[in-house]
Amino acid sequence: VKTRFVLPLVLASAAFAQPARPARPAPAMPSYKDLKYPPLGKIEIPEVQRVTLPNGMKLYLLEDHELPTVGGLALVRTGNLFDPPDKVGLATATGMVMRTGGTRAEAGDVLDEKLENIAASVEASIGESSGRVSFSALKENTDEVLAIFHDVLTSPEFRQEKLDLAKVELRSSISRRNDDADGIADREFEAIVYGRNNPYGWVEQFEHLDRIRRDDLVAFYKRYFFPSNIMLAVYGDFSAPEMKAKIEKLFAGWNYHQEPVPAFPAVTAKPAAGIYTAVKDDVTQTFFTMGHLGGTLKDQDYSALQVMADILGGGFPSRLFQRVRTKLGYAYEISANWNAKFDHPGTFEISGSTKSLSTTDTFLAIKEEIARIRSSEVSDQELQTAKDTVENGFVFNFDTRSKALSRVLTYEYYGYPKDFIFQYRKAIAAVTKADILRVAKQYLRPEDMAIIAVGRPKDFAKPLDTLGKVTNIDLSIPEPKSEPVKADAGSLEKGKELLQRVQQVLGGADNLAGVKDLMQVADVQIDPSMGGLKLKQTNRWLAPGLFRQEVEAPFGKLASFTNGSSGWVKGPQGDGALVGPMLKQAQSEIFRSYFHLLTSDRDSNRTVSYGGPGVLDITDKSGNAVRLFVDESTGMPQKTSYSGPQGAIEEIWSDLRDVGGMKAPFRITITQGGRKFADVTIQDYKVNTGATEAELSKRQ
Amino acid sequence: MQPKRLGETYVTLKNEMKFCVLALLAPFLIQAQNLKEFEKKVTEFTLPNGLHFIVTERHDAPVVSFNTYVKAGSLNDPAGQTGLAHMFEHMAFKGTPSIGSKNWAEERKALDDVEQTYARLEEERRKDLLADSKKIDSLESLLKSGVEKANMYVEPNAYPRIIEENGGVGLNAGTGLEATNYYYNFPANKIELWFLLESQRFLNPVFREFYKEREVVREERRMRVESNPQGKLMEALLGTAFIAHPYRVGPGGWASDIENLRVSEAEKFYKTYYTPGNITVGIAGDVKPSEVKRLAEKYFSQLPARPRPPEVTTVEPPQEGSKRVEVESPSQPLIFIGYKRPDQYDKDDPVFDVITMILTSGRTSVLYKDMVRDKKLSLAAVSAPTFPGGKYPDLFLFYLAPAIGKSIEENEKEFYAVLEKFKTEKVDDATLARVKTKARASLIHQLDSNSGLASLLNTYHVSYGDWRKLFTALDEVNKVTAADVQRVAQKYFVANGRTVAVTASPKRQGGAQ
Repeated sequence: VKTRFVLPLVLASAAFAQPARPARPAPAMPSYKDLKYPPLGKIEIPEVQRVTLPNGMKLYLLEDHELPTVGGLALVRTGNLFDPPDKVGLATATGMVMRTGGTRAEAGDVLDEKLENIAASVEASIGESSGRVSFSALKENTDEVLAIFHDVLTSPEFRQEKLDLAKVELRSSISRRNDDADGIADREFEAIVYGRNNPYGWVEQFEHLDRIRRDDLVAFYKRYFFPSNIMLAVYGDFSAPEMKAKIEKLFAGWNYHQEPVPAFPAVTAKPAAGIYTAVKDDVTQTFFTMGHLGGTLKDQDYSALQVMADILGGGFPSRLFQRVRTKLGYAYEISANWNAKFDHPGTFEISGSTKSLSTTDTFLAIKEEIARIRSSEVSDQELQTAKDTVENGFVFNFDTRSKALSRVLTYEYYGYPKDFIFQYRKAIAAVTKADILRVAKQYLRPEDMAIIAVGRPKDFAKPLDTLGKVTNIDLSIPEPKSEPVKADAGSLEKGKELLQRVQQVLGGADNLAGVKDLMQVADVQIDPSMGGLKLKQTNRWLAPGLFRQEVEAPFGKLASFTNGSSGWVKGPQGDGALVGPMLKQAQSEIFRSYFHLLTSDRDSNRTVSYGGPGVLDITDKSGNAVRLFVDESTGMPQKTSYSGPQGAIEEIWSDLRDVGGMKAPFRITITQGGRKFADVTIQDYKVNTGATEAELSKRQ
Repeated sequence: MQPKRLGETYVTLKNEMKFCVLALLAPFLIQAQNLKEFEKKVTEFTLPNGLHFIVTERHDAPVVSFNTYVKAGSLNDPAGQTGLAHMFEHMAFKGTPSIGSKNWAEERKALDDVEQTYARLEEERRKDLLADSKKIDSLESLLKSGVEKANMYVEPNAYPRIIEENGGVGLNAGTGLEATNYYYNFPANKIELWFLLESQRFLNPVFREFYKEREVVREERRMRVESNPQGKLMEALLGTAFIAHPYRVGPGGWASDIENLRVSEAEKFYKTYYTPGNITVGIAGDVKPSEVKRLAEKYFSQLPARPRPPEVTTVEPPQEGSKRVEVESPSQPLIFIGYKRPDQYDKDDPVFDVITMILTSGRTSVLYKDMVRDKKLSLAAVSAPTFPGGKYPDLFLFYLAPAIGKSIEENEKEFYAVLEKFKTEKVDDATLARVKTKARASLIHQLDSNSGLASLLNTYHVSYGDWRKLFTALDEVNKVTAADVQRVAQKYFVANGRTVAVTASPKRQGGAQ
C-alpha cells in the first residue's frame, strides 16, 4: 500500500513546480450582486400552551414530534445573587447537591443508575438569577423520568456525602481558577466593574465553602423552591392535553408555599476606571477585557447600542476586527459587546488577546477606535451591513421549535412583552447614523474604562503606564481564615465529646496529658515535583511551649529554637534571630505539637469546637488554628489542616502505632496549597525523657 | 450579534473529546427501519469532476446548513511548513478576484511584486554568513512597502461581510489533523449565494493579506497552545507518543514554521489537496434536491478534475517501552495517559468505543465512580477512544485532573489499579446494555439539527466511504461482548504502548518548610 503513493507524490510535486498563479480565464459566472432571491418561506411560530396549575405552578407545553424524545425545564426564581455574603457559593452548591444528593426515596447513586440505564437525565443547577431543574428522556421512558424529576424538584434529600463531593469540586475549581488567563480577565473585570463587595462582583473563596453546611442547603432550597415560584416547560413528542393531565396529577400533592421571592439586589457599582494588571508568567499573550457598566434590554437605546457595538467590534467587517486583527495582525480574538442584561445593568466590554509585545499598541488602537466612533458618524455601508445582518438572519430566531418556548419562558420570567423580539427587529430597522453617534457619545465613557490585562508586563514593548497609572491585581487565593464556626455551647459540648473519644482511642486522656516532653526523629522526602530533597528532621518539644528543630539537608545543617515569643536560627548561611514568618511557623509547630494538640481541652487558652461531621476546630487566643479530622465511627484521627505561608497545609496521618502505651502516626503525608509536598516517616518517638530548657535552647 | 470567531482550528481538549464521542456513536445505532426512514430524506450525487454532495431534506424551518469537508488537514503539512493547512483555511476567507478587491488588475500586480521581493530577500538571507545586511534591510523595507501597496487595493473582509449581511450565521472553519471543514447557515432563499461564494473561493482563491494573516495564525497558536496549560501538555504528549508519524505535531504547527510560510507554499498546498475529488459537501435543511443538483452543476462543475492527492505514507514504528514526559507549569496538575491502538478500520474499533463509555461516560462509569465520586482523587476522569485522529493507528487517551490536595502520583497509582481490575474482571451485562442504550439515545439527539446532520454525514462518508455507516455500525457494536472488552483491554492497555504526559511544578530551591 505504501509504494502506491510514491509515484503520484513525485508527479504532483513536479506538476506544481511552475510559476505561481497561471493565467486563468475569468469564469463567466454571475456576480453575487446579480443574484435574485425568492421570498423566504413562511416562518411558523408554534403556539405555546400555557396554564397555571391549582398549586400555583405555571405550565408551558409545546409539542414537537420530529424525534421520539421528551424534555422539560423548571425555571425557578432564585439565584446566587441571593448568596449570603459569608457563604458565597451556597446557591451553586444547593443546585449541585439537589440532584446528586438524591431524593427522600432514593440516593443519588441509585438515580444515576436508573437514569443512565434508560439514557435519560435529570439535572439541577442554580446560576446568577435563576435556578433550573431539567430532564430529558426517550419518549417510551417519559413517565419513569417524570417521576424522578418530580422527586428531585419536590423532595431532594441533600445527603451529606454529596455535599462533601460538591465541596471537593468547588474547592478544586477555586484552586484552578488562575490557570486560565482568559478566565482571570473576565472574572477580575466583573469584580472591578461591579465591585467586590456585592453579589454581582464578589468571588467565591475557600472560607465561604468551609462555612456551608447541609442545613444551609436545605434552608436555601426551602426558601425558593415552591410551586408558585416555578415555571415548568415541557416539550417534545407527546400530546399536550395528556401531558397537562399527567403533570397536574403528578404535582397535585405539592402545595408548599413561601412568601414571594423579593427582587434581585440592585447594582450599586461606582465607576472603577483604571488600568489593572495581573501577572501570569506562563503565557505568551496578554488576555484583556476592558469596559464599564452598561445597561438593560429595556433601555430606550438598546437597539442603537447593539448596532453601534456590532459596527465597533461585532463580526468580521467590524472596525476592531479589521484594525486589530486584519490590518495589524495583533490578535486572533478581538470583539466588542454591548452586553445588556434583562434585569440589571450589564456591561460594555471589549476583549481579546495579543502577544505580550504588542499589548500597549493594541490598547492604543482600541482607544482610537472608541474615540472614532464617538466623534463621527458611521458610514452608510457599515450601518446597512449591521442592519442587514439582523434582518436577514432573523429567521434563525425561529429555526427550531424549542426556541419559541425558551423565548416565552425568558420574557415572562423577566417581565418582558411577548413580542419583544419583533419590537427589537423594528427598532433596529429604524436606527440612524445620528442615533449611533448619539449613543456612542452618551453611553461609551472612555474616562470610566477599567482595563484588565493578564500576562507578562515585563515583555510588553511599551510599558502600560504610558497609558496611565497601573494597579496590580493580587491573584493569590486566600486560605480559609481561622475563624471556625462560632463556638456556641452546643458545638463546644459536642467538640469536647468527640475529642474525648479520640483521646480514648489513642491511649486515654490522662496518659496523653502526661506527656511533658517529646522527641521525634523523622525522614522527610520532599515530593519530586517540589524539588525532591531528602531531609532528616528532629523535633523536640517541652511543655508548655519550647520547641527545637534540627534539619539535616544536602546543603547543610539547620537548627532553630523558640520559646514562643522569640528564638534563633543557625544554618549554613549563618546565625540569626527567629522573626517574621519563620517565628510564626515555629509558634504554629508548638501549637500543633502532637500530645498537646490532642489534649487541647485541658488547656484553658484553647477552644475546641465541633465543626461539622468529623471536624474539630482547635484554636487559641493568639490566633493559632488547626482543624482535626476524625473518623466519627471509630474515633480515629485522620488528618489536620491549617494555614501556612504558601497556602493551606494538610497533614494526613497513617500507620498509627504504639508509643509508650499510646498511639501516634509513623507516617505523615503533607500537602501544601493543594499539591503534594512531602512524605514524612517517623523513625522514633521518645516521650518524657526529662528534657530541659537548657538542652533545647543550646546553640550548636 | 455575537462576536464571530474565524478559523477555529484545533479544538481544545473539551471539544476534541466531544468529537470523539461523536465518532464513537458510529457504532451503536438505530435499527434498520430507522435507516430506511432516514434514507428517504437523503440524496447523494457526484459531479463528473469528483465532487460529492450529500443532501438531507428537513423542511421544519426555512433555513439550510452547509458543510464543506476537505479531506486534508495538518497531517498533510509538508516538512518545515507545519501550520500550512491552517494557514490556507484562513486564506479561504480572503475572497476572490472579484470579491475583496478595489482593483484586481493593480492588486494582482502588487501581489506579484511582493512575492518577487520576498524571493530576493530569501535569496540574500540564504547566503547566511555572507549575506549583505544592508541589502537585507533594504529588501525588508521594500517588502514592507510592497505589502502596504497591495493592501491599498483590498476591501477588507468583503467575503465574510457578504455572508453575514445576507443572513449567514455560524460562519467559521476548522482545521484538524485529517480534515478541514468550512461551514455556516443561510436562510433557505439564499442557497444560490452559498453555491456562488463557496465555489468561487475554491476556484479562484486570492492570497491577499497573506503575511498579516500569518501573524494572526501565529497569535492563534499563542492563544491555544502556548498560553494554555492543556494545550502545552497535549503538544508534549503527541510529540512523545509519536516519533515518525505526522500525528506528532498538533494542528497548530510550530511557531518558527508559521513565521516563514510563503504564498507559493499555500498555493501549492491548495492545488494539491483542494481537488474536487477530495471534497465532500453536506447540505441539510429546507432544500429541494433537484434544485441543489442544478446549482451544484452550474457552480461547481467549473472546478477542474485533478489527480488524487498523496496520502501520508509514514508509518509509526512500534513503541518499545513506556514513555513519560513532564511539562513544567505553575498551573494545577494535569495528566494525559495514552495507549497505542490500531486505526479506525480495525475490527476492534467498536470495542474501543464500548470501553470508553464503560470507563468514563456519565456518573455510572467505572473511573468516575472510583476516582471522582468515592475516592475523591480527581476532579475529572475522561477518555477518548481514538486520538488525535483515527485514520492511522493512534491513542486511546485518558485525561485526569487531580482534585484539590491530590497529587499526580496518587491519581496515576489509582488509575492503574482500576485499569488492572478492569482487565481482569469481566464487565457485567447490565453495564454493557446501558452503554448501548445511551449511545442510541445520543444519536437520536444528534439528528435534530441541520448543522449536525450536514457535518455528521460528511464525516461518515469520508471516513468510511458511506454515510450509512452512521446507522449500520450498530450491528458491529451489538456484537461486542464482555469477552471482547476484556481481550482488547488486555491487549492494548499495556505499559509498552503507554505514553504519560504530566505537568510538574517549576523546580524550587531550598529545603523543608
